[in-house]
Amino acid sequence: MQSEKRLYSILFFCIVGLFVASTCFARYNPFEIFFNLENFQAFIVDDFFPPAIPTGLKLKAIFQGILTTICMALSATSVAAVLAFVTALFASKRVSPIQKSPKFVRGFATFLRNIPALVWAFILFSSLGIGTGVGFIALCISSYAFMVRAFAETIDDISQDNLESLQAAGASFIQVVFHGILPSCLRGFISWFLYCIEVNLRSSTVVGMVGGGGIGLVLLSYLKGFKYNMSFTIILAIAVMVLLVDALTNYLRKELDLE
Amino acid sequence: MTEAVIRRTASGKMRIDCVDKNRSAGFFLIGIAVLSTLGFLYLDIPWSKMLARVPQMGIVFWKLGHFDFSNFDLIGSALLETISIAVLSTIYSLILSLFFGMLAAENIFKCRVLSSAVKAFFTFLRAVPTPVWVLLMMICIGMGPSAGIAGLCVHTTAFFTRAFAQSFEAVPSETIEALQSAGASKVSVFLNAVLPSATPELVAWTGMRFEINFSECAILGMVGAGGIGYVISTHIEGYEYGTAGLAIFCVFAIAFCIERAFIWIKSKQRAC
Repeated sequence: MQSEKRLYSILFFCIVGLFVASTCFARYNPFEIFFNLENFQAFIVDDFFPPAIPTGLKLKAIFQGILTTICMALSATSVAAVLAFVTALFASKRVSPIQKSPKFVRGFATFLRNIPALVWAFILFSSLGIGTGVGFIALCISSYAFMVRAFAETIDDISQDNLESLQAAGASFIQVVFHGILPSCLRGFISWFLYCIEVNLRSSTVVGMVGGGGIGLVLLSYLKGFKYNMSFTIILAIAVMVLLVDALTNYLRKELDLE
Repeated sequence: MTEAVIRRTASGKMRIDCVDKNRSAGFFLIGIAVLSTLGFLYLDIPWSKMLARVPQMGIVFWKLGHFDFSNFDLIGSALLETISIAVLSTIYSLILSLFFGMLAAENIFKCRVLSSAVKAFFTFLRAVPTPVWVLLMMICIGMGPSAGIAGLCVHTTAFFTRAFAQSFEAVPSETIEALQSAGASKVSVFLNAVLPSATPELVAWTGMRFEINFSECAILGMVGAGGIGYVISTHIEGYEYGTAGLAIFCVFAIAFCIERAFIWIKSKQRAC
């Protein structure tokens, strides 16, 4: 209890120190937003309301954008999940058939994971050109790296007894994977997969903004054209899309008994 | 044991797994596979064109690997700016959401309408991606780090409020009732019972969000809120890969350090 208190007071002082240092550096005034409140209100009331109702071609463009974004998030996550499953087997200390592989695989995944998806998108755009495919690959890379770590931890967390008994009975690596790991880790894998879909749906909107296509691109083009009423409609559409997918994944979690 | 209990396959092998549970997971996997394939076909990506450009990707990575230290002062100041945006937005939202989390938790004010209203409002805020908020703030406040901080705060507060409300609700009701029966007011119940017992979780959530905020900050620069993202995107667009490579490496290094630091804090927490 004493050491816990000490840890938290050290943390508290670190936070205060960081706060002071960054306020000095960024010269940020939290009340700045209140000085601009008038501006803010004018902007919201005059420019944003009422949300425009899209018709004809515009409606079609919005629907196509949303569909593209969802497809991008879903299939990028699935492709990444399959690749991550295979890689995670080599990233887990207990299962990996090669002795040294966990260190290297984990290091590689850490490297990929700590570079944000949008930076990957920028690197890829400059080499592969702009388009949905590049956004797809950028999403794949970041969710792949995330899932390698999550899957490897899931594999390490399960009880080692059944793996050991399988190995003791002379099961090969592939038999251990299909009869030991898959049945006991499938639930963990699926729940991480659903989480990744939620994250990727948001990132795919963002990646779309810089050139990956989808609803993000549609939104940015309206914002840049100062058509705020239409942008508001699209923001609402994005919110509805995200909420629906969240509700769906929550339903699936309950249905699959993951919690 | 009767024959009915032991399920056997056609070849007479015993089934030892739980059929009902695995079947739903199987259906789910098949459904996902079908939908992903359909989505993949819908996207209609020109793979052959992209494959032809893969050598170019090698060249870009090669160029990114040759760090150019001539603009290091620019990268350094941008990096500091990014870190301070991340720190400030996390801290301000931490303070805000302690308050909103208190309102949203059902076990403190015992007012269902209030807590569901707060929760619904923040769920909406959370559903809109961060860069959208930052873009809107930029339109209102103007370019620069303030817009970045305000925009990030919106999303982070929404995230924290839900997370904190969950942690507060997990506090056993006996603790709260004990204080209430001793005559403590609602605020003092919150400060003396709920907050201390939820602290470890709050620290974990803050750490997780700080990591996310840092990488989001690196992103926000790309939409114009200053910081390291701006440096990366302008230098990549200007084909100055050396500087961009160094900036990306710095982002990686700092993100890695933050991750390590919080893993260390967590291990300390567990040791306590």
